[in-house]
Amino acid sequence: MWQYIKAVAIRELRIWMQRPIYFVGSLGVILFGSIFFLTFFKAGLPSKLPIGVVDYDRSSLSRNFTRQLDATQIGEVVRFDDFRTAREAMQRGSVTSICVIPDNFAADIQAFRRPTFTFYVNGLYFVGGSLAYQDILTMINLTSGAVQKQILTAKGVSEYDMMGRLRPIYIDVHRIGNTMTNYGVYLNNLLLPGLLQMIIILTTIYAFGTELKYSTSRNLMEKAGGSITNAVLGKLLVYTLYFTAVGISMVCLLYVWLRYPLAGSIWSMMLNMVLMVLACEAVALTIVGLIPVCRFAISIGALYSVLGFSLAGFTLPVEAMPPFLQGISVIFPLRHYYLFYVQEAMFASGFAGWYQEVVHLLLFLLLPFPILLRLKNAYINMDYPKK
Amino acid sequence: MNQFHTITAFIKQWLKDFWGICCHEWKLIVHDGGVLIIFTIGALGYPLLYNLMYKNGVLEDVAIAVVDNADCSESRRYIREVDATRELEVAYRCATMAEAERLFQQRKVNGIIYFPKDFGERLARMETATLSIYADMSSFLYYKNLMMGSHFVMLHEIGEIQIERYAAAGFTEEQSMQLVSAIPYEENNPYNRTFSYTIFFLSAALLMVVQQTMFYGMTMLAGTQREEHHSFALLPSHLEGVGIGRVVLGRGFAYGLLYLAIGMYIAFIVPAIFDFPQRGGFWDILVLLLFFITDCVFFCSTWSSFITRRETVFILLLVMSPVAMFLTGFSWPTSSFPFVWKCFSYLLPSTFGCQAFINLNTAGGDLTTVRPQIIAMTVQGAIYYLTASLAVYAENRFIRSERVQRVKAKRKELLRRLKVEI
Repeated sequence: MWQYIKAVAIRELRIWMQRPIYFVGSLGVILFGSIFFLTFFKAGLPSKLPIGVVDYDRSSLSRNFTRQLDATQIGEVVRFDDFRTAREAMQRGSVTSICVIPDNFAADIQAFRRPTFTFYVNGLYFVGGSLAYQDILTMINLTSGAVQKQILTAKGVSEYDMMGRLRPIYIDVHRIGNTMTNYGVYLNNLLLPGLLQMIIILTTIYAFGTELKYSTSRNLMEKAGGSITNAVLGKLLVYTLYFTAVGISMVCLLYVWLRYPLAGSIWSMMLNMVLMVLACEAVALTIVGLIPVCRFAISIGALYSVLGFSLAGFTLPVEAMPPFLQGISVIFPLRHYYLFYVQEAMFASGFAGWYQEVVHLLLFLLLPFPILLRLKNAYINMDYPKK
Repeated sequence: MNQFHTITAFIKQWLKDFWGICCHEWKLIVHDGGVLIIFTIGALGYPLLYNLMYKNGVLEDVAIAVVDNADCSESRRYIREVDATRELEVAYRCATMAEAERLFQQRKVNGIIYFPKDFGERLARMETATLSIYADMSSFLYYKNLMMGSHFVMLHEIGEIQIERYAAAGFTEEQSMQLVSAIPYEENNPYNRTFSYTIFFLSAALLMVVQQTMFYGMTMLAGTQREEHHSFALLPSHLEGVGIGRVVLGRGFAYGLLYLAIGMYIAFIVPAIFDFPQRGGFWDILVLLLFFITDCVFFCSTWSSFITRRETVFILLLVMSPVAMFLTGFSWPTSSFPFVWKCFSYLLPSTFGCQAFINLNTAGGDLTTVRPQIIAMTVQGAIYYLTASLAVYAENRFIRSERVQRVKAKRKELLRRLKVEI
């Protein structure tokens, strides 16, 4: 048996030499994707978001407010003369939000007439919109506090007593697993493995599908001594070694080189990665076994692996989706990778926290068994359309 | 008169070739199962699926645990109010922090609010009382809910407490209101009132589906043609090397017409099914679709000429789907793009098309709002038309030189044999 597996593996390596797509192509894609996402989110948190200000008041107070808003790290003020142009700019997406400072703003504050400050946020650009919203809200509260402080000082209240009056409650926020609200850390932790699962599924489907497409499957079966198990194991051996190496490098890249927060152990994350690699290969093999026509199988694989990103649930949590989709989310290895990652990298809960995900990922390995026979028939008889 | 005849004959022939190429392309599409899967499941099914997936785009009642060591009336009121917010639900009240942490690890809760022992005392002493929140950062939506829920309650509580304190200091009610909210504010989020994930994601994703499925379909077909030793760009043989325009436009028209239908389905029917906001005018969106689809057609024509094998399309280029999605600026703001990627984003029609659709359909602008994007797509489309023509030209030159060489080789071979026979 071993010599057959070895023969198939050597045959696969020879195919690699002939067609660069398997090795150079897939590695190139992973490198491109990783470089893209790592550099794209390098800043961690966006800064200098354009915030429109329409200042109808033009008092020293309103100018001061504008300057202060401009000085925050998140915001950068764009001044407009009237609301109309500002609104059009927001509709175009060129400013994230608009603050409107009404006429007589400063005078009304001095006279305790409580002028209303209005602001508009463009919630269609999520990150920009919600950060600008936070920034403006903070600035208003600070300005409001400054007004209070001025009056209290005039009334002769001491600095110490004032703090209690101005700010009776303070919230101390602890962000578990991502202390800096870094978008790069949040998204890249899942986007890079997501990329990998995509490439694994597509490459594996392609590797098994081309045997049918170019009618080389009989040759493969000969090399494997007529056993489909040998053929599958021999081919997968090469891919497993390759993708495991890529996956482990990815884990090292994220947690050793880039020092992304990791509460638990890196060895567990490696285990997680290896299991995901195996599960993805199993899924790919199942797809190509169910539909032994290369062009169909690879289209299905593409549609499937793209869905993995959404149904992993790291953006919109799965529990907010309709119940039947919550069920479907378990058929994506990336979903289990994500749950494992949360337990290990964020909460460091160890084996007790993630053993279920290990079981789930291992269950994927059972998937290909029912279709092996079908694949064998397809390989020997070659009775499926090549197109 | 004679000239007139030549011109009409030319136009007739042109239209005939154009139509022939277009029909040929349709035949190829219909006979290719893999492409049909992409066009039906991908282009028609995925918009529905994404709508279903993100149907409830607002996360409500995130479960949190509360550890109340203060056990005073203020902390109890705070907890009640947090529980009443739309964002949060107090699922567990824990006696110790250790217990809450365990629930956190088991992911039964996605956040903890902790009141220290001196919370009530400090409030009574008119000092600043601190409470702590612990947020699960595994999804930023949990974090956002925890922050918003607890901050809304905090702002409300601060108002209440301040009024009490000013009253104690001898201010009248009117005076203390003037102090507490010296600047009342009014917040508006006109295009996405609840910060719904659905509205934000789908506005960008819908047109992305148009571009990506067209791209994969077209490149797969070009790859197949190459594999079968045809060319994707053979000129009609009677033309002797001219008529590139016919080939590019004919092929483009086949996809353009097909995608106009798909695009209208995605931009008008799908949003209507799911009550997705449709604030733009019908004709405005149709104009946008025409520009976007034309641009996409030439974009795909250009890039498909580099594809030599069909299945490699997915392995090499599926990665572009998430990349192009982020390059629309729907999540990470365009103003914070690194320079290189900003330039890169100008290569894709979706960068302009999706932004224009967001502004037009969801923010309710009109065509003047999306003028910059329409101009950009026109320029881009024109450039891609030229490059697509160039690709067809180069391909034909290559094929012809190959053919000439083959003929030469054959002649040589024949001569050799003849000599042998002689």
